[in-house]
Amino acid sequence: MKRAIPVLVLSVAGLIPVWRYAPSQDTGSSSTATEAAAPASTPSASSSGGTTSTVVSGSTIDTEKGPVQVEVTFEGDKIASVRMLQQPDHPQTTAAVPQLIEETLQAQSADIDTVSGATITSDGYKESLQAAIDARG
Amino acid sequence: MRRVEHVMGFPVSVRVDDEGFPEAAVDGLFVWLHEVDARFSPFRPDSEVSRLDRGEVSVPSAALREVLDLCEEYRVATGGAFDVRLPGRGLDPCAVVKGWSVQKGAELLAAAGARHFCLNAGGDVVAAGGPWRVGVRHPEHADQLCTVLDLTDRAVATSARYERGDHIIDGRTGRPSTGLLSLTVVAPTLTEADTVATAAFAMGAEGVAWAAARENCEVFAVDAGRRVLRSAGFPGERAAAQPTG
Repeated sequence: MKRAIPVLVLSVAGLIPVWRYAPSQDTGSSSTATEAAAPASTPSASSSGGTTSTVVSGSTIDTEKGPVQVEVTFEGDKIASVRMLQQPDHPQTTAAVPQLIEETLQAQSADIDTVSGATITSDGYKESLQAAIDARG
Repeated sequence: MRRVEHVMGFPVSVRVDDEGFPEAAVDGLFVWLHEVDARFSPFRPDSEVSRLDRGEVSVPSAALREVLDLCEEYRVATGGAFDVRLPGRGLDPCAVVKGWSVQKGAELLAAAGARHFCLNAGGDVVAAGGPWRVGVRHPEHADQLCTVLDLTDRAVATSARYERGDHIIDGRTGRPSTGLLSLTVVAPTLTEADTVATAAFAMGAEGVAWAAARENCEVFAVDAGRRVLRSAGFPGERAAAQPTG
């Protein structure tokens, strides 16, 4: 299909390194980045009560539309929120650009069943192509 | 069978090709359209739309709610270019009411057993069964076409300035939209085709790509420089015949 939702794709692409990065429950200790890209920043953590909040910035990924970077806040091992630190400032990230074909304007007549056009008034109808078609029966 | 009646100030032409289709069902279609006119016309002081606008109705009916929700959906989708509540003017949901009500009318015919019919409401067309050959009026020559479509179970609507002048306002500027000569949308329903066509026309030149990017919509536009822009899937055919003037 011609319609894609690039912004979603970009967000997911930005999240991949974050998701693959497993923050340690022991906050402040050495974190281990797994196979994918390492996070761009050291996780900052704060502890309140029983849960531990950890903020991780993903690495910046260059896409066709510009750099993308997300920041994820974990509560324990669950994602609490995701924030875009960098996102492409590009209109194409909100709608796929459809392929438009350019042609020259033609005028033609043809044997047709009905006519589409701007809303015609009842007064204008008498002179219209549609009236001729209706009268032809 | 064929019938033409005038409702809401425009002609409605019906052609049903199903053998023995009851005239009473076509009567029902026109009863519905007259009811819509009475309830939703902003030009009738006693309509629900006028009374809502004056604050005399606090909770709109389910049908009006449906219309107003569609209006709001398209206002947001067009960044405010399509707006039925323009400053200094009364609530005017006509742009949505027309396509919505004619689509519902087509569903009444289908529910009564019609399978092959063509419903043309002042230039907006529901083509059921088919294929139906639908010409798109040339924006500068009333007796000519600029493309011809073969449509089966689709709807098509056109917005332009040639019939009623600069009546479509870009809600972002409050000024008439003049970037396009005409814009035609093919969609599964007339509700969608008509509203997308009006909304895209209000947006001007950028509305062409906006309409083409919508799921299930195909677009054919003539811009102010008489250039045709159409989506790759638009079901129109090029003239095999004589181009004129």
